[in-house]
Amino acid sequence: MARVLVLDDDQDFLQAATDLLGALGHEVNTANSLGAGELMVKANRFDHLLIDLMLPDGSGLQLLDALSERQRENTKVTVITGHPSIKQSVKSLYGPGVNYLIKPLTLDALKDALTGEAQPIADTPETTSSTKKSVRPSQAASSIEELLVGESSQMQHLRATVKRVAATDANVMLMGESGAGKEVVAQAIHQLSRAQQPFIATNCGAMHGELINSELFGHEKGAFTGALARKPGVFEQAGEGTLFLDEITEMPLELQTTLLRVLETRTLVRVGGQESIATACRVISATNRSEAAIARDKCLREDVYFRLAVFPIHIPPLRDRDGDIPILANHFVAQLNQEHDTHMAIDSADMKRLEAYSWPGNVRELRHCIHRAFIMTDPQSRHIEIPERLGSPFAQTSETQEPGDFALKPGQSIEQMEKALIEMTLDKLGGDKTRAAKMLGVSTKTLYNRLKAYENEPQEPE
Amino acid sequence: MSDDSVNQLIHDVRNPLNNISMHAELAKMLVAEGATEEKILQTLDNILQHCQHCSTVLSAFKENS
Repeated sequence: MARVLVLDDDQDFLQAATDLLGALGHEVNTANSLGAGELMVKANRFDHLLIDLMLPDGSGLQLLDALSERQRENTKVTVITGHPSIKQSVKSLYGPGVNYLIKPLTLDALKDALTGEAQPIADTPETTSSTKKSVRPSQAASSIEELLVGESSQMQHLRATVKRVAATDANVMLMGESGAGKEVVAQAIHQLSRAQQPFIATNCGAMHGELINSELFGHEKGAFTGALARKPGVFEQAGEGTLFLDEITEMPLELQTTLLRVLETRTLVRVGGQESIATACRVISATNRSEAAIARDKCLREDVYFRLAVFPIHIPPLRDRDGDIPILANHFVAQLNQEHDTHMAIDSADMKRLEAYSWPGNVRELRHCIHRAFIMTDPQSRHIEIPERLGSPFAQTSETQEPGDFALKPGQSIEQMEKALIEMTLDKLGGDKTRAAKMLGVSTKTLYNRLKAYENEPQEPE
Repeated sequence: MSDDSVNQLIHDVRNPLNNISMHAELAKMLVAEGATEEKILQTLDNILQHCQHCSTVLSAFKENS
């Protein structure tokens, strides 16, 4: 029996593949987008990946980049493609370890791909990777210290919280800035509590309109145009495992009522169906908005919030985590060294610079920065060449701001924001008020009134 | 007829063909297992729907070329 992940955007195919492979005695999970697939390979160990190349959010092959070195050695990959010509070009890119099946598939071809599978490399005697072999991937992944790296008081607190919540069945809401590690925390909770059960991830921001209900709760055959067959939703797929709803606050408000009912009654009815089905999964939701912002912007119904955030967890931004930057930086370097058999380190002057930087993109930005530097450095070198300028153009901070630039910070008033926006626009247009008004979508009169109000501001008592 | 449009056609036809193939395999397996008539019929319906889909794709191609 193998644990198989099938990645394809064709629901009918996924359903048929699940039934067929299930009947052959395999444990089957499915994902219908690259993003969902990536989260699933990070959280679960699969023996075999069956992937389609053309997905709505990218190429199935990008999934291979999400695999750790260890997973890559132990996971068989079969690409399912409609284009025989792709076979050659992909082979040259990803090497002989990747297998191919051409659509239309037959049962025999599927069987061969799965049963003809070579023994995992870890079983063959190999001296060079003795350190890797001594740690079984499943055990390695379940150590919370290894999943949530850092010694700051915030991280110690976070680890304690995660352990406590893992022992319960409570729904968890993760709040933290982009890149702070919401997915990692979700996986840690899953590993500690329901590791043998499925981990299903879906992004509420990526689903559109009416299809959200079908994605979440499934639909019956013929429920709407295009519903060719019955399809289980993510709640059903998660079974007794974990359902990770990313960007929950991006879900349209009017569609949250159905979610509320499912959370309250712990049963669901598929779109177009009658039968009520019990749900048993833990729901972990995530958002990069703060509680105050959620309340202010009303992007989540209050009752839904209370159902989802039975146990809210705040993930601290990297800049607030005392002393964790060097620990994480060294951790990432050690990972890269192990994967590439190199012996690099960060010298102390560079480390000071890393520590001084504010990391608006958080741990993800730090990891990418180290990875980039690692690629740019000569493999024989002992020191990683950290770039002179840290930071990405997407993450403007107060330190790297150019004059006239304005960064949003929580707690600012709409007036402040408006004023900064008007000033920036005028600055850019050399003070041309008519064009500025047009660009800002207000009348010239309104713009003049605003400017007049700002002029009067300094005279006002503080 | 450009290469691109032919490639697109191949892709658009292979997907329903793939579904037909998979559901036919499934139907065979269901029959062998002695599954309920309803399940088998549902699988066969699926095959017919994808045949229709295939035909629609081909008609659309003819109209556009």
